[in-house]
Amino acid sequence: MTFFDAKKNGWIIKVTLWMMTFVVMLPFLWLIKQAGPNYIGNARTLFHAQDGLVLVWLKNSAIFTISSLLISVLSSIIGGFVLAVLYIPFRKTLLVITLITMLIPITAMAMPLYVLIDKVHLHDSILGLILASSYYPFGAFLSYLYFSSALPADLVGMGRMDGLGDWAIFWHLGVPLSKSLWAIVSFFSFINLWNSYQLPKVLLDSPTHSTLPIGLELLFGNGGAVVGVLMLMPALALYLVSQRAIERGIFSGAVTG
Amino acid sequence: MIAPYIFLMVFCGFLPLVLAVTEIGKPSWVNLHGSYTTIYKVLTDFRVVPALWHALFLLLCFVPLMIVVVLAISLLLDATAVRGNTFIRLIFLLPGIVPGAIAVFIWNALLSPHVKWQAGNIGWLIGGILFSSSVGSWIVIQYGSLRSISPEVLEAARVDGCNRLELAIQIKLPMISKYIGYMTILLVAGVIQIFVEPNLLTGTGLTTDWSLNQVSYSYAFRNGDFAGGTALALDMLIPSILLAIIFIRRTDFLKKSERT
Repeated sequence: MTFFDAKKNGWIIKVTLWMMTFVVMLPFLWLIKQAGPNYIGNARTLFHAQDGLVLVWLKNSAIFTISSLLISVLSSIIGGFVLAVLYIPFRKTLLVITLITMLIPITAMAMPLYVLIDKVHLHDSILGLILASSYYPFGAFLSYLYFSSALPADLVGMGRMDGLGDWAIFWHLGVPLSKSLWAIVSFFSFINLWNSYQLPKVLLDSPTHSTLPIGLELLFGNGGAVVGVLMLMPALALYLVSQRAIERGIFSGAVTG
Repeated sequence: MIAPYIFLMVFCGFLPLVLAVTEIGKPSWVNLHGSYTTIYKVLTDFRVVPALWHALFLLLCFVPLMIVVVLAISLLLDATAVRGNTFIRLIFLLPGIVPGAIAVFIWNALLSPHVKWQAGNIGWLIGGILFSSSVGSWIVIQYGSLRSISPEVLEAARVDGCNRLELAIQIKLPMISKYIGYMTILLVAGVIQIFVEPNLLTGTGLTTDWSLNQVSYSYAFRNGDFAGGTALALDMLIPSILLAIIFIRRTDFLKKSERT
């Protein structure tokens, strides 16, 4: 099978990948063309609409996304680490609940969440939205999968013998071995929160408390190429930053097979 | 250490789930006296059967396609050093990170003059949008999981004479099997719960109550029947939970980190 030889024919792989990429790229070239040609003018119109209410939404979205991002990433990665590596009671139960709560349709969860947020008097506030959105079971389970394969029990055992506590093991072994995990979990958490639609819609009432996706929908309906390009910008920036972590060698498993 | 996570899990996950389950017992339009039989009575709704067929169509056509494409592209990216690798993943990721509304806007505008949408083919459009918006994220995740295989293992296999194809099928895929299981469960759940795409296409007049989740949404938010809506929402969970149970039974899905 010389065709698949590990040293030969790399160019076939490259050409295949680039061809597929080109096809996928077409709609976005169209979107960028659609947003122009007067990009700056279009963006300016957008920011001045409704006496600058768009800027208020942008601020709300930024506060909400950044706070929820910090809470969700830290809590879910640490949670996943504990579930994969440490001895805690009800470990499997917690994993199963994580899995189930991740799978429940938001349709079923939105109303009960509304009731709970209302009970703690955080209805129609960004704080309530932050609280309701910071649970990130997807990230926790991904972290659990990651640590359960990338951080072998041997290494944790050695750490214990050196007298490391739980936090020290996380800090000195878990964190250095999981750079790509941090990149991936933060990126997807960001996308989730930045584009978050159903929860803000249920939890926030007043226009001045609204977030960008909800507000823009009110203003423009489904359309708006400028809106599309604008919403993409922060996600693109974060992607490029976070992808630097995904290079073989920096983070790969500590112990071989 | 895990306390913040457990607090969030209880407040935002477990408690709402309990509240949702208690909600089902209340009276519903399909079950005026209110009891847990609503869980299957709601399935007799005339809109549920076509929605089930739509879900089955997406499950059989698009889920396998998505799994194969994600794994193929991730393996290709991992097989050799490709210049512009980050850029390629970004392009595949783009449709997944634009808000759903924009994605539908693009697709509609690109296809509408050439294709006439009918009840018979609208499923392909929905599947296509779903496909394009899901594969990119999973390519990023699976590429990351492939990158976490230690280079020494791969080098050892190469020394033993593995070619690229054998390396991919015999070494790499088994090593990321947990992630593949996770992806499968989530893709199946996502397809059954599809909401945004058909909902944004309601302008065509073809996709009102097209998916199970839309029917569930109609119950809860259009008819104010939370019991019925929630019952249907929990019914939608059954396939993914069954799949999860199979993975837990058959693989080391929930095992702790082990000694090597």
